[in-house]
Amino acid sequence: MSQSTGQVQEQIRAKAKELLEQRQVQCVIGYEMGSRGQVRPAFIYQADDVDRLVWNQGCTHNLTLYLHDKKKPAKKGEQPPRVAIVVKPCDSRDLNVLLAETQIERERVYVIGVTCEGILKGAGFGKQSEIRNPKSEIQDRCLRCNERVPVVYDVLIGEPPQIDIQDDFADVAKLEAMTPVERVAFWLKQYDRCIRCYACRQVCPGCYCNVCMFERDDSLWVGIATGVKEKEFFHLGRAYHLAARCVECNECERVCPMELPLSLLNRKLAKEVRELFQFRAGVEPVKAPLLTMLAEGEEPLI
Amino acid sequence: MTGNGHDPMRPYLGRLVGTRPLGTDIKLFQIELTEPAGQQHFSYYQPGQFAFVSALGVGEAPFGITSIPSQGLLEFGVAKLGSVTGALHSLEVGEMMGVRGPLGNWFPMDEIKGKNIVVLGGGIGGAPLRPVVNSILEHRNEYGYLTILWAARNPSLLVFTDEYETWQSAPDTELHLTVDRGDEPWKAAGRNEGLITQLLEKVAPSPQNAVTITCGPPIMIHFASLTLKKLGYSLDQMWTTLEARMHCGIGKCGRCNMGEKLVCADGPVFRQDQVAGFLESFL
Amino acid sequence: MKVITREALKTWLDRLAGETALFAPRSVDGIILYRPVTGSSEIVFDYARPKMSAKEVIFPSTDNIVSIEKQGKDVTLAEPPLERKQVIFGLRPCDAHGISVLDAVYIGREPVDASYARRREATTLVGLSCPQMWEGCFCTSMGGAPDDPSHVDVLLTAVVGGYTVNAVTEKGQAIIAGLELRELTGDPPRPTLGETVPVLPTERWPERFTDRYWDLLAERCIGCRVCTYVCPTCRCFDVRDEVAERRTSYARYDRLRCWDACTSPNYRVTAGGHNPRPTKGTRLRNRFFCKFYYMSQDYGATGCVGCGRCIEACPVNIDIVEMLHDVSKASAAVEVTA
Repeated sequence: MSQSTGQVQEQIRAKAKELLEQRQVQCVIGYEMGSRGQVRPAFIYQADDVDRLVWNQGCTHNLTLYLHDKKKPAKKGEQPPRVAIVVKPCDSRDLNVLLAETQIERERVYVIGVTCEGILKGAGFGKQSEIRNPKSEIQDRCLRCNERVPVVYDVLIGEPPQIDIQDDFADVAKLEAMTPVERVAFWLKQYDRCIRCYACRQVCPGCYCNVCMFERDDSLWVGIATGVKEKEFFHLGRAYHLAARCVECNECERVCPMELPLSLLNRKLAKEVRELFQFRAGVEPVKAPLLTMLAEGEEPLI
Repeated sequence: MTGNGHDPMRPYLGRLVGTRPLGTDIKLFQIELTEPAGQQHFSYYQPGQFAFVSALGVGEAPFGITSIPSQGLLEFGVAKLGSVTGALHSLEVGEMMGVRGPLGNWFPMDEIKGKNIVVLGGGIGGAPLRPVVNSILEHRNEYGYLTILWAARNPSLLVFTDEYETWQSAPDTELHLTVDRGDEPWKAAGRNEGLITQLLEKVAPSPQNAVTITCGPPIMIHFASLTLKKLGYSLDQMWTTLEARMHCGIGKCGRCNMGEKLVCADGPVFRQDQVAGFLESFL
Repeated sequence: MKVITREALKTWLDRLAGETALFAPRSVDGIILYRPVTGSSEIVFDYARPKMSAKEVIFPSTDNIVSIEKQGKDVTLAEPPLERKQVIFGLRPCDAHGISVLDAVYIGREPVDASYARRREATTLVGLSCPQMWEGCFCTSMGGAPDDPSHVDVLLTAVVGGYTVNAVTEKGQAIIAGLELRELTGDPPRPTLGETVPVLPTERWPERFTDRYWDLLAERCIGCRVCTYVCPTCRCFDVRDEVAERRTSYARYDRLRCWDACTSPNYRVTAGGHNPRPTKGTRLRNRFFCKFYYMSQDYGATGCVGCGRCIEACPVNIDIVEMLHDVSKASAAVEVTA
């Protein structure tokens, strides 16, 4: 652990302690050390517990997911809780998405923004995956990330690294180099492994429908079988629903037990959105251009 | 393999031979089983048992059997709430359906012989209780006094209205009706308005040598048992039938558990002293 | 001990692949899974545990219970298909133990589930001992062992030059009949054992039901189904009729049975909209209580074989071993104060 990482950790703890002691928030959502050397999400309710909070290069989780759990009051008639949340730059973009979609209220969230040097491969999982991904490597999504400072915060902790990275969508280029026939074959081979566990959807802060349209009891849009056709429909449909809303945090790909290259779907659509609308999800708290209603008298693009 | 080699997940085929409205969005279905195996299986069943009824091609759902075997036809009362019940309601007489069962345990009709019986039915919860009443009436002199309290949110949701006359006119039997909110004719006739618990306190049947059988929304079962306690009933006098989302009905799919109790296989009929000991609340 | 050489084993497996549906650990885009193989060259022999259990060979993630054919007004239900003989090779003892637990649910308690029973009857289990316990494994704490022969028909254990062959059941004797086996003195090596985990006795679990622990543990749960789907003993399913084929006056619907998970938010939602398990805490509690209490009450088997897959798979480090430690500590604390 570098000295700056240790300092960041101390500052997070100090801020959490202050917020809880002063009753500015009821809960601090951050990271803690779990079992087997893993980092995991932490929910701190007492000032005495803030030493559970950690900050290191294993803090891979996008904690904005848990803001959906804090939307309702603990008891009827009460106000929803005020929470503090630790966010990396990528996570902070999800805050803007959720703000624009009125899923969270800005006044109810105290944002502890942390600058980021990149997260390690194998983070979030135990030693089994270390065999696959040596711990000294930085995740691919971080290698192409130029934003090392959160886009929204109430307090900013850490020194941003001096980097200049251009995201040239090299990951998507490999996909685009395939012929349509090759591309279909590639994806059907991936979907075949999918077990429809919905981990990708559940970990995504952008997926918050009470009843997912791909999981309806009446099978209206897609059946529940684990056939390739059904899984293709689910993954493509979900990717389209996230177009211009996905902040590319890559958690979907990390959590997939069958190691589907899910980020490629979202990244491909993110590239299209950049080119078509010059838009990137979460940079500002505005709705995705695909969701924006046309005002009276406005002409559609096409 | 089971003794008769029957696959308990495979439905028996039956023909819908009759329907009639029981209330707003509630229909009675009369089914004639067409396969010998199905006819044999359903030749005998007890009040309280249930079956999975299929809208073949859409799905199946569990319903209390509302007929008694001597009627000859298998009857179910179905409220239209979701995709399966919606599909069932769209069936025309003559169409084929599927039935799996009879499943579950049953009300202890033998054990309660000689006792006074209080039947409490709320809304569509009346459907599993109708065979209890009709069973008692079929063997009237084997049972004591019968008090029936029948309730619904409004008059259009009171089920089996065409049988009230028969019930009321049976010896040593009284029927009381109440609705949460009456319509104009109901109010004009001065009939009961209020919850079944209020009616129960008013009628106040004696707990002496009595048992109660309650079916309705979970919250109604809960409050009815509180009122019964107030009236001096102990939990081991109170019988009920519980509902939970089910997918197999045969104790395999794991869905309907309340703690370690499987509603489909250990129930759905339970006594309230058992229910009080449930790890998971039935509410 | 009876020993088969690696070469003879591969010859045997090639023959089995021709005669039966052979399932064995195979690399699927780098992930080891129990999958159909057409020959021994596809089989991986050196692995820890496949990512998924073997339950899908007998309890598929999508299963056709019955096909419903509608021709005009006529309806017929199709006869079930004949089950092809199948063999699972390379089955880890924990996964075999998991199949025994599913047997207790589907066959051990009346009524017998016909499609599971058919498939189970047609399946022979050829186990492969683990040389050690892997990260997250605690089979020895759940009544098993890395070389436990209790739940397989045949158990192979690696030795120098080949494998010992231990036929445990009649099915096992039958499948190894005619194999060239050498008789050697000695016993196969015992595996290296791992951690022991305290498991609260079944009857003491109800004491822990109302603990706030479950809500706190479940706060980080994301409500996916990974733990349930990788687990050898989880067996909840959903049933749905779906269109398989539709023409003008003919339609075929398949009544499908598909895996489901009690961790899913809408698992218990009724048609009226009520959800008796509305919180992640109540759902996660149900998951662990089902494993360590309900299943023993309902089927006489504990719903955990100590394979450790859920530990590896959970994206947020909900660690069943950690939970077992915590639950034992909580009960011990109560004992001290009582």
